[in-house]
Amino acid sequence: MALQPSGVFFENYSHDKALIKTKYQWLSLAIFGIFLLLVPFLFGPRIIAVANIMIIMAVVAVGLQITTGYAGQINLGQAAFMGVGAYTAGLVATQFSLPFWISIPLGGVAAAAFGYIFGLSAVRIKGFYLALTTIAAQFIFHFAILNLPTSWFGGSNGLTLEPASLFGFEFKTDSSFYYLALIICTVMVIGAFGIVRSRYGRAFVAVRDDDVASSMMGINVVATKASAFLVGAFFAGIGGGLWAYYVRFVSVDQFTLFNSVWFVAMIIVGGSGSIVGALIGVFLIRLINELVTSIGPVVSEAFPFIGGDIVFAAMNIILGGVICLFVIYEPKGLMYRWNIMKTSYRIWPFPH
Amino acid sequence: MIGEFLDYAINGALIGLLYALVAMGFVVIYRASKVFNFAQGELVVVGGFIVWWLTLGMGLPWYFAIPLAFLLAAIVGYVIERLFFSKLVGESVFSMVMVTIGLLILIRGIVLVVFGAQVRPFPTIFPLKPIIIGDVLIPQSLLYGGILAVIIALALSWFFNQTRTGLKMTASAEDHQVALSMGISVRMSIAAAWVMGSVISTIGAIIFLSGKSLTFLASEIGFIALPVALLAGLESIGGLILAGIIMGVVQGLAEGYLDPIVGGSVGSILPFFIMVFILFVRPTGLFGWKTIERV
Repeated sequence: MALQPSGVFFENYSHDKALIKTKYQWLSLAIFGIFLLLVPFLFGPRIIAVANIMIIMAVVAVGLQITTGYAGQINLGQAAFMGVGAYTAGLVATQFSLPFWISIPLGGVAAAAFGYIFGLSAVRIKGFYLALTTIAAQFIFHFAILNLPTSWFGGSNGLTLEPASLFGFEFKTDSSFYYLALIICTVMVIGAFGIVRSRYGRAFVAVRDDDVASSMMGINVVATKASAFLVGAFFAGIGGGLWAYYVRFVSVDQFTLFNSVWFVAMIIVGGSGSIVGALIGVFLIRLINELVTSIGPVVSEAFPFIGGDIVFAAMNIILGGVICLFVIYEPKGLMYRWNIMKTSYRIWPFPH
Repeated sequence: MIGEFLDYAINGALIGLLYALVAMGFVVIYRASKVFNFAQGELVVVGGFIVWWLTLGMGLPWYFAIPLAFLLAAIVGYVIERLFFSKLVGESVFSMVMVTIGLLILIRGIVLVVFGAQVRPFPTIFPLKPIIIGDVLIPQSLLYGGILAVIIALALSWFFNQTRTGLKMTASAEDHQVALSMGISVRMSIAAAWVMGSVISTIGAIIFLSGKSLTFLASEIGFIALPVALLAGLESIGGLILAGIIMGVVQGLAEGYLDPIVGGSVGSILPFFIMVFILFVRPTGLFGWKTIERV
């Protein structure tokens, strides 16, 4: 981790602190950035739609990474937090016809408030008790939306939104929305890197590693845990707001416990405690998801005895299997394995 | 008026006892292995499908099918322990929780592949005719289920608090490493816990589903039983009976009196509000061990 490629020496502190330390890292980031910008030109509409969903989920998963991966607080309510963001954004957009650049941040703030309330339970409890509270958040969200007056959140009918628009330009098509989502996602990811490298991020890691020791060092453990939920839920709310403007239809079925588990699976696969890991996890899990969705019908047509439910069933088996296998055999995720490979390459031929 | 009240309360209490029975599966697994099993509802579904397959699929008479179903459920529990939890002895809470959640989804997928998503009729094991006392209608399956729940709770409570094996299992729930160094086989304990949890879930499935229909969605009872387990405190088996009755009566009365006013589903969400309240106020529940770390 601390190992730099051969020949890299730091002459001042700002260079030492920088995230990107070599020319080649800049180059590969630039190539990746250009690739992302060119996606709508390179691929067909289906891939662009998938990319949009990946970008939205990336925002949410990065938030979960901060709560769970960095601060170590199990969170099974991320989809509910996302839903709060989506509904808030949808509500202020339809009722008060606010533009998206106000309603999406408002969604984030509302989700952050909702998450903070449940994060406060970390005052008294930890471990799976906390997981229970976040599951309760999931159920309460569901109940609240379905039972509050229909004129507020649309009840079981859901909310329908107008497309986001800026100076008269409407982000109606998938490729125009892609750029909007990409910009917001980039801002959020850069923000996440900033947060985890700041004083607060280090406090999160300290609390995750040992809360007694970190309280001895003067960290306010309760405030840190609650703010981890606050930050994570804010990201979820922004993702939810984006989702509302992308799908332009918000309903409770989009934010179930099952979706929360998907997010957790993403950060387990990618690697907990790494922003890049969260992004990789989103990419891989969504990729598997899309592959199953597109291959499933072909398979069930070729072998009729399997039946049409095979897509949903196979998705369950793959998701559950992936979570179990990773937790048992690779609990630190792919990023950790990648870092080991990178280090061993750099110090080759020495084994350690 | 009073008859209506009694009807809601008694039926609520009996449903609460059913929740207590399902929650017993949680508590047994937790009490013996320190694994909080989110996949409990799926074990109920697996138990239900095994019973369905043996009775309606294979055509066995129920007095033969049910013991066989228990045996198969025990094997399922043992296989789960072998495949997943024997590798996780001494691991962090996070790993355990995540594996049970992975298991929840995995089992649901396997059930869908093996049995499909169709609605199946479940055999009528208890007579359908309700018992009528005054104005109160009591379904027989719930009545026998309640009695069974109390008996099983007393037996398990005795087993865990009085017998040597039970105490050994309790020790491995306290701390895997300490238990190992005392010469207790944590693996055996976890295996026994999963076998017992799986069998209890099958009993729960029989009572819950008798005479109704069965789909993979029946697993929701696993989440409904969570508040009961928490109210009792996760270590207390006897306390489950009281917690189940309290939760069931509260839910029954809310369904009877509040739902018509508010327009539905208060009864089904109230337990979760109570659960959040307990988590904030008294995370050990009514009878749990007071060892929760509050850092």
